[in-house]
Parts: sequence; C-alpha cells; structure tokens
Amino acid sequence: MKRSAALAALLAGSLLLGACGKADEDKATDDTTNSADGAADGAVKAAWIYVGPTTDGGWTTAHDNGRKAVEEALGDKVETTFKENIPEGPEVAAVIEDLVKDGNKIIFATSFGFGDAMKAAAEKHPDVKFEHATGIPNDIKNFGTYFGAGEESLYLSGMAAGAATKTGTIGFVAPFPIPEVIRHINAYALGVQSVNPDAVVKVVWVNSWFDPTVERQSAESLIAGGADVIANGGDSPAPGEAAKAAGVAWTGYDSDQSKDFAEVWLTAAIYDWGPYYTKQVQSVIDGDWAKGDYYGNIADGFTDLAPFGSRVDADTKAKIEAKKQEIIDGTFNVFGGPIMDQAGTEKAAEGEAVDFGEQMSMAWFVKGVDGNPEGN
Amino acid sequence: MIRLEKRVDASKWLNFTVPVCSFLAALVAGAVLIASSGNDPFEAYSRIIDRSFTSEGAFAATLLAATPLLFTGLAAAAAFRMGVFNIGGEGQFFIGAITSSWVGLTYGESLGAGVIPLMMIAGVAGGAMWAAIPGALKAFFNTSEIITSLMLNYVAASLMTYLIFNTESTWRLTEGSGLMFPQGRLLDESTFWPFSHIGSVDVPFGFWVGTVVAVLVWILYRKTRFGFEVDVISDAAPAAAYAGMRTRKTLLGVMGLSGGLAGLGGASDIGDIRHLLDPKGLEPARYGYTGIVIAALARLNPLAVVPVSILMGALNNAGRALQGPDFPAGLVGTLQGLILFFALGGEVFARYRVRVKRSPRASAKASSGDVAVATGAGQTEAPVGSPSSGEVGT
Amino acid sequence: MAGVTRDETAGILIPAVSMRGITKRFPGVVANDSVDFEVRAGEVHALLGENGAGKSTLSNILAGIYRPDEGQLFLNGKLVELNSPRSAIEHGIGMVHQHFRLVQTFSVAENVALGLPGRFSKREAEDRVAALGERFGLPVDPRALIWQLSVGEQQRVEILKSLEREARVLILDEPTAVLTPPEAEVLFETLRTMAAEGRSVIFISHKLDEVMAVSDRVTVLRDATDVGVVEVSETTPRELARLMVGRDVVFNAEDTLNRATVDWERVVLQTVDLRANDDRGNPALNGVSLELHAGEILGVCGVSGNGQRELAEAICASRGRTGGQVLVDGETTIGKDPREMIRRRVSHIPEDRLHTGLAASVSIEDNLVLKAYRAHPFSLGPLLRRRSIRSNAIQLVEQFGVKAPGTSTSTRLLSGGNVQKVLLAREFSSDPVAVVAASPTRGLDVGSIETVRHLLLEAARRGVGVLLITEDLEEALALSDRILVMYEGRVAGEVSRDEADLTELGLLMGGRSAVGSGAQQTGGSES
Repeated sequence: MKRSAALAALLAGSLLLGACGKADEDKATDDTTNSADGAADGAVKAAWIYVGPTTDGGWTTAHDNGRKAVEEALGDKVETTFKENIPEGPEVAAVIEDLVKDGNKIIFATSFGFGDAMKAAAEKHPDVKFEHATGIPNDIKNFGTYFGAGEESLYLSGMAAGAATKTGTIGFVAPFPIPEVIRHINAYALGVQSVNPDAVVKVVWVNSWFDPTVERQSAESLIAGGADVIANGGDSPAPGEAAKAAGVAWTGYDSDQSKDFAEVWLTAAIYDWGPYYTKQVQSVIDGDWAKGDYYGNIADGFTDLAPFGSRVDADTKAKIEAKKQEIIDGTFNVFGGPIMDQAGTEKAAEGEAVDFGEQMSMAWFVKGVDGNPEGN
Repeated sequence: MIRLEKRVDASKWLNFTVPVCSFLAALVAGAVLIASSGNDPFEAYSRIIDRSFTSEGAFAATLLAATPLLFTGLAAAAAFRMGVFNIGGEGQFFIGAITSSWVGLTYGESLGAGVIPLMMIAGVAGGAMWAAIPGALKAFFNTSEIITSLMLNYVAASLMTYLIFNTESTWRLTEGSGLMFPQGRLLDESTFWPFSHIGSVDVPFGFWVGTVVAVLVWILYRKTRFGFEVDVISDAAPAAAYAGMRTRKTLLGVMGLSGGLAGLGGASDIGDIRHLLDPKGLEPARYGYTGIVIAALARLNPLAVVPVSILMGALNNAGRALQGPDFPAGLVGTLQGLILFFALGGEVFARYRVRVKRSPRASAKASSGDVAVATGAGQTEAPVGSPSSGEVGT
Repeated sequence: MAGVTRDETAGILIPAVSMRGITKRFPGVVANDSVDFEVRAGEVHALLGENGAGKSTLSNILAGIYRPDEGQLFLNGKLVELNSPRSAIEHGIGMVHQHFRLVQTFSVAENVALGLPGRFSKREAEDRVAALGERFGLPVDPRALIWQLSVGEQQRVEILKSLEREARVLILDEPTAVLTPPEAEVLFETLRTMAAEGRSVIFISHKLDEVMAVSDRVTVLRDATDVGVVEVSETTPRELARLMVGRDVVFNAEDTLNRATVDWERVVLQTVDLRANDDRGNPALNGVSLELHAGEILGVCGVSGNGQRELAEAICASRGRTGGQVLVDGETTIGKDPREMIRRRVSHIPEDRLHTGLAASVSIEDNLVLKAYRAHPFSLGPLLRRRSIRSNAIQLVEQFGVKAPGTSTSTRLLSGGNVQKVLLAREFSSDPVAVVAASPTRGLDVGSIETVRHLLLEAARRGVGVLLITEDLEEALALSDRILVMYEGRVAGEVSRDEADLTELGLLMGGRSAVGSGAQQTGGSES
C-alpha cells in the first residue's frame, strides 16, 4: 500500500510539472493560431456539416467532393473545414456555434434534419451565410436552400434498368416515404416503363438515410423476390454490394461507383455539388452573396448521369443520350402526361404535366410501382 | 504471474488520487496519440477547454449536452447498485419522450406552464412502465434483464419511428414542412421548460431537476429502508429472503425507479431541448448507453453522476469542436475512448491491487493450498489478522 | 474386537493400495492424522465415517489432488509420489467425485475421449464407449450430450471415463447420494463386476446398509484417523455404527446441572406432517411431526442430506412447504413468507451464516437489524434511524462479546466465531419464543463452540424452545432434552437424553431401525 501511494504521488508530481510546462507553451501556440484566425491573408472560411461519414460512398462523399472542388478552384482564397457524423438535434446548434466562433463566413448543412438549428443560427448570426441542402424555402435573408432535380437523371437511369431486366422486376431500396424520394421513384419507374412497359418497380423502405446493414438486407430480400436490377435512394452503396454478391445489375445514386462495381454497374443519378459550392463561396469572397432557393438540373450540369457500365448495350445508351438531350433542350418533361397512379386514376392527361407544386409534395406512386407510398 | 486482488480497505485517499492520476495519465496518452496524428496536442487541449468551458456560450452548451446524460446516468446507477443490469435506459428515455410530448401536445395550450409538472409525471410513468416489463420478467420468470431491456430499446425506437413516419399520429406534423419530410409536431411554447441565467450561463431547467433528483436518489439509497433492502439484496439475495425482504417487490421498485429516471430524461429532452418527438435525432444520440458509462465512472454514486455527466457532455461537445479535415471523427472517437479507458482503468487500481509472483513453482504450490482451504475447511472466509495462506498481507 | 483385522494380511498379500501414516493439515484443522489405509486388488472396500471424519481428504490424496504433509503411498508395493491428478491417472487411479467433472455440451464419447492419449476418430470413440458400457453393465448412449442425461447416467459416464483410462483403483465419493434406490442397485452390480475383474473399488459412504450390501471390507475413519478395519462378513451394522460414532462423550457437568426445567405443558413450536422439496424439486421432507416445548432443547440428528436443512427452512418459511402445518404457540401459520415467522418470534440460525444468515459485505450494525429495520426504533416512516441502529449495535457487540474493529465494519472481515456471534446476537435479542438453530457450532473453534452452546442453554433457561439441528452427536447429547433422528426426510426415531445411546443413534442415522436393538446389542457384545 505505502509503496503504491508513493508511486502515485511521484506520477502525479511529474504530470503536474508537465502540465505547468504545457500551460506556457499553450500561450505561445495560442498566439500563432490567433494570427491565423485573423485571416490576415484574406482567405474566406467555409464549413460543411455532414450527417454521415465522408466515406459513406454516397451522399456525404458527393458533398465532400464538392468541398474539395471548392478548395481546388479557389486555392488560397478559401479555407474549408467540415464536421462529420453530426446527429440531428441539439448537437448541431453547438457545432454551428463552434464554426461561427472559428470564423467561418458561409456554412453548408447537408441534411434535412439540420434545418431548425440552421434557421435559429441564421437569425442569431446575420453576418454569416447559411445554406441548407434539401431545405425548405424561407424568408430569412442570410439563409438559402439548394437541391437538384434528381428526377431527370433518375428517369434516365430507369431507362437503363428497364432495358437490363429480364425478370421484369426491379427492386428499389428507398430511405423514407417523403415527397422527394417518392418523386424520384416515380421518375425512375417512368423511365423503366419507357423502354419496358410491363416491368414493375418493387419498393422497400428502410427508414434511414444511412444504415448499410438494413439497406443491404433489403436489397437481398428484393433479389430473393425475383428482382434482377437493384436501385437505391439512400446514402450508402450497400445495395450495390448485395447486387454484386448476387450478380444482378445495379443503378446507384449520389456518387459514381462504377470502378468498384464494374461487373454489375449500369449507371447512377449523381449530383455535382462542386460548381454550385464554388459559385456560392466565390460570391462570399466577392461580397455579392445573395439568398436563393436553388434547384439545379441536368441543363445546369448540377445533376447528371454517371458513366455507363458494360451491361448497358449501345442501343440503350443511344436512346438514353437522346432523351437526355431532349431534357436539356426542354422538349421533354419527365412528369409529362399521360400519368396514372397505382389505382389507375389519371394524374396528368396527355399533353399536360404534373405541376411543380404537386411534384414537391408528391405522396402517390405511378402505375407499375409495387409498394406503399405511406411506408411499409 | 500477475494477479489482481480485491483491496480489503480501499482508502479514501486512493479514492481521490487514483481518478486524478488516471485522468492525467489519459491526457499524456492522448497527447501522444494527437502528436502521432500530426496535430499539436497543446493546441488540441486548449481548444477542448475553450470550446467546452471557457468560450462564450460553451459552458451553457456543455450543460445542455449534460442534461440528458445526467438522467440516463442516474437511471443506470440506480439499477446497477442493486446488481440489476438495466441496459434499457435508452428505450425508457424514448418512451418518456413519447409520453411527455403527448401530454405537452394535448394539454399544452389549455394549461400553459402548469403542464410542465404533468410532462414530468408522464415521462416518469412512461419510462417506469417500460422498465417494469424486463423487471417483471426477471422477478417472475428469472429472465436476464440485460437481454430483455436491451431488446426493448429497439422496440421503443421502432415505436417512435412508427409514430412519426408511418401514422398520422398526434405527435406528427401533418402540414407545412411536415409534408416535405415526416417530423414531430412542435409543442406549444408554454410547455418549454424555462432556462435560468447564472451569470452569462443559461442553465436548462432539466439540469436543476436532475441535480435535485440526484440528491433524492442518494438519500433514498443511503438513508431509507428501501436503500437498506437494496444493499442487502445486492450483496446476498438469500440473506434478504431469509430476513423477510420482498426481493421481487424491491427489484420491481428499482427497475421502476431506474426507468422513471430515464423517462424523466425523455421529458427533459422534450421540455428543455427539442420540443418535439424526434426519432431521427434521438436514436443516434445514444444517451441511454452513454448513461451506463457515466454511472460506471461515477462508481454508481448518484451525487458523482452530476459532475461526471457534465464532463461527458463537455467531452462530447469538445470532440465535435476538434473535428476537421486534419482531425477526423475517428481520431476524436479514439481520443474520447482513451480518456474513458484510463478513467475506468484507474478504477481497477483503486479497488484491486496488482500482485506479481516470482516463482511459478511456489505459486503452484500456494494455489493448491488455496484450493485446500476452500474445500477442506468449509468456512472459506479468512478471519482478520490470521492469514490463511502465505499471500495475505503486504 | 474379534472382527478387526488390522494389517493381518499385509505380509502375505501385496495390497494394491497402501497408505501409511498419512497426515494432512489445513489451516486450523487436521483433516487426516496419521491414517493407515489399505485396499486389495479385487475387493470393494468401503471408507466409512461421519461428515468431517477425513474420508474426502484421504481419497483426494489418493487421487493426487492434495499432497499429504506426511506419510507414504505404495501402489502394488512400490513407493510412489503423486504430484497431480494426472500422475494419479497415469498410475491407474480414477476418482468419481460427488460433483461431476463433465463438459455439459459435449457428447458422452467426447467426454470420455477428452484427454486420452493418441488420435482416434469420433466413430471409434463411440464404439469403444459402447463396448465398455456393455461389459460393465453401464448402458449409456455414446452420442448423447451430457446435459441431456440424468444424474445417474452422468455418474456412469464418470465411471466409464476412469475405466477407459484403465483405472485399476476406482474411488467413488458418496456415489449413492445422487441416486435413487434402483439406480444404486445397478451401481452396486457394476462395482462388483469391476472388483471381480481384479480392480480395487473404494466406496465412500456413511450409509450402513449400503456398506453392508456392497463391500468386502470396511475402513472406519473417525476424527481424522482410522479407528478400525473390518471384514463385512464378520461384522454387524451395530459394530460399524459404534466404530463410526465413537464412545467417549464428555458431558458438560456444569451446564447439565444448570439445565432449564422444561414446561412440558406448553408447546411453543409444532409441526404436523410437514413436507417440503429440496432445491432440485425432489421431496426431501416426507412428513415430519414434532413438538418443541418451552424451555426445551430438542436435538435433531442425522447424516447431512436427510432433510434437516429443509426442516429448518420449511419451519421458518424460507422454503416453501408442500404439505403439513407449522404451529407457533398453538396457532397455525400460513408459511408463505419468512416475515410471518419473524413476526411470530421464531428465530432462525441458518447453516449458511455468511450468505443466508448475514449479508457478508454489509456492516455489522446493519446485519444486526436485518430483520428489525422495518419498525420502531430503527426506522421512522421510510427513513432509517441510523443513530438507533448504531447504539443497538454497540450494545449487542458488547453484550455478546463480538470482537470487531467497529460496528460499521463489513461482516465478512470477522472470524468465523465472531460472525456466528453477530448472528446469534440478532436472533436472541429479538425476544424469541422458539429458536431453530442449524449446525450452530459447525466450523467454529473450541472457544466459540462453548460460547454458542452457553447461549443456547441460556435461552432455554429463559423459556425459549430450541430446535437444535446438528450432525454432532456429542453436542446433541450434551445439550438436548430429547433427540430426534432423521433419515430420508422422516423422523426415524426419538430418544430421551437419559436413555440415549450413541450406538443406537448411530444405527438410526444409518437407516437401521432401533426396534429389537436390545437383542442385537447382546449378540454384538458376544461376537
């Protein structure tokens, strides 16, 4: 006992000495960091808040690639940082406070659930610009929103899926029964039907943006149920893993994964956040940032289709390219009539289209989708 | 051969110095880790202190982060003291959030601030009821409460998700942005628990509630018949039964208390923090599981749970503040884990002493002697001051 | 002692096992004191003795588990030294313990094959086990998993394990304790088969009938030493009982003179056809009726495991009663809860002091109010009154002479005698009408034993009825007014103190009826 006490005292003493030395050095380092914080070289600080890890291989990876594109494009003029794995809740508010304290002038948050905290922070810090991906348009002047018309590229990847299926069953691993996802599934199904009118899109909900285990299991159950093409709308490529294991085709989402999934890859609806982020940060540097609710599309280059895999034949490729051009030219509307819902009720007549407001609050599936738009 | 022996007389002095030393040791090990990742440990540490305590609003954020942990920590401590391993604080917290938000949504506008105590009661009742299920299963069918309470966490989480995502329930917002994405309905402002301002620090009402409850739990365990029964049952259940204690009743009481505390945390989450039922935010927060770590660090002492939960809240906030392109989340997690590892590791030294034995042959002989003592003499307890084998005493 | 044939044949035959002057000491106890023990090849040899006589220690030494402090072991005339159970196995000694050492999730064949030298297939192992089982009349399915087997079948696997290792000497430690009578019959048959093949079988028991039925010779141990070796064909159960129990009983004259006068009119505690099950759910108490009078000490004797523990617990309602009644002061009790018996002022001193009678880690002062903490003066509403609890403790520690550093000391830190004093202080200070004391002096040193006995006598003098359950016959004779003997969950007989005879008690404990004992006694002394 005595011996161990003496040992403990010795240890404590030496640590205290170390701590004192440390305090002095702390001051020194503080000074240097302060000068860096002062942004003497004029670099603007920009920050991103992610709900998942930057290595998710989907949604968050795509955003982080956008951040890297900003660094590359603007070089010394910008200093970026990010916070990953941030839960939706009071934690976000603390994270935003930290970022503001660190001198960030524009903060991007990339999950819907960050909205309330972003809104509150925007009101509290009027000199900082806040941008919320997939957010709800609002009237706070330093709080903008941005997203892309994923339905256009999903329609095109649906065409690739429709041409690839032999069983006529395509499985869709879907995150949440919300208008955004329902709109995407409908666009995808319409694309499928444009080349393969009898094919069915089967939907399974996983109730999460990022849950690789459940996403993979859902894909496996769809394959077991006869699906020979898998699609997904969540953040991880786990459904692609299941497709790879079973040897069935896969259309991805968010990120180009064609290299890792070459043997099963068809294509993917992807977002290129880089140009938008670069533009917004540049506008902060220039001092002419203006609030907006941006909705990018294929014509802008904001949404696009990933490179085709070897499973897509030349004929289909040509058809898809042609359709893409029609979209860019404005001669084709994904939600142009005639469109029927699952019950056979006409939602848009020949020559008309589902209007934008209806698209933004879509709660019904088109004919040919096998699933419940209210969830499992 | 190295052996751990339980200290017969864990001294008060050690109780103080060991945690302090292990904390300092954790800092040193953490510094090595940070330096090896190419970052400056001193800068990292000063940033931790700055962002969790000293900078503007930091301590308030720490207290806010500590509040739910205070309740789940108390919940775990209350159960573990009796050797009842309620791992279900997480689910009981969720249920407390569900019941208290229902009260807030239903009566918030009509009752005004008077609804706050009702929310607390509802949270306690919900959590207690949820914990009573594994409690009753253990009391009457002797099932492992570890498994059942853990499984009920998943049930509670699914229930919460169901209420928000799959039905048009009271809890769900069915207009405005609720049409874009399923989310909870915001409670009336009259149900918001008031913040008090101590100097420049905003202290959530739930934090005061938790602190008062910590004192009450401490009194319950130290000063009442109930606490006496818990002590005896946890030490020797046969003795408790022999003395006419109602073991089952006490077990149910402890589970109810533990669940009630976690449920009160759920109410505080609604009243202090979120003001709506938020399954997507609550699930990844893992308050219930962190509460178990807090209870262990606080050595199951309810009073110690208060400072430990503040430290844990600070550590969590600081962890996110540290993150960045050069300081990935994985490194932050490793650093936090390291600190906890040292803190709990120090615990081992406070309770046990390490003994190194020189000769393997001598030790073989000595240990066969131990067997003999146990089997031969019937009474295995060694009396004070009369060593029964060559190893007692230092 | 015509039947005793000590070392008579040593010169002619070389015994298979010969242990000479074996002494083994444990802290505070001499378990074997210069014991001589010999077993021939081809015989079933019983090792008979009361609990604590040293049977298990001796057999554990032979099985290589303990090393003797003194003495030598010869196998077939050669001096050997056993360092471990493994070396005993290598020398052909196998032991079947009371608690089996089998891997529950392994099959019979796997358990038997475990640790055997060489490599062989699962199929081979199964065939070998099946063949061996057939040869010795030990039928077991080699593919069955251990947990699926009954206790009797598991015992067969243990025996097969030893046989597979080619054991020439097989030790069975109280093998019938876990068996039903028909199973025991089968086992005896097997033991005789093994002996007939030239093996030596050592059979440990304290049941006279079994010893008479299965063995060729008997070595009797008493108080850590061997007191006789007899041929079964030349002895009687009576002689064995006498050897086992011993003659010399010292009565404490002072206590005898100061005995209480029993109020035979007042029955403080009565059981009528009381029944209860053991921990495994088998009937252990098969209808016990007894009456305990005010001021009386009623001894309950018997070899342990014959229902004494269940009797104490069923009376005090810490064990469920499956039938019958318990009356306190003439009033029926419900028996659902120990609290009822506490309220009726029936004190209980359980056999297991530190886990049942007391909570080991809890302080002395708390243990002293383990039953009384609910009410005045120790609590007020839901709150404990620490001050009263402490002053109660200070007073009792003083009064009962508990040696402890302080009243807040954890009870586990006390010596055995002081632990028992804490327990007695609580139980006697609660003003009981009856005390049920189970083995209250077991494991204590001489001084503590005296203290405990004095406390029991003193309680009786105050008019308390004491039910003294003990395996120590001397103690029963010294303290009791009457003695009941239990055998297989029943009262096998009752004797009053004045006419008590150790031999007769020994017979009753061994399951032999006392009827006609007079005639046998004459016959016995003539042989």
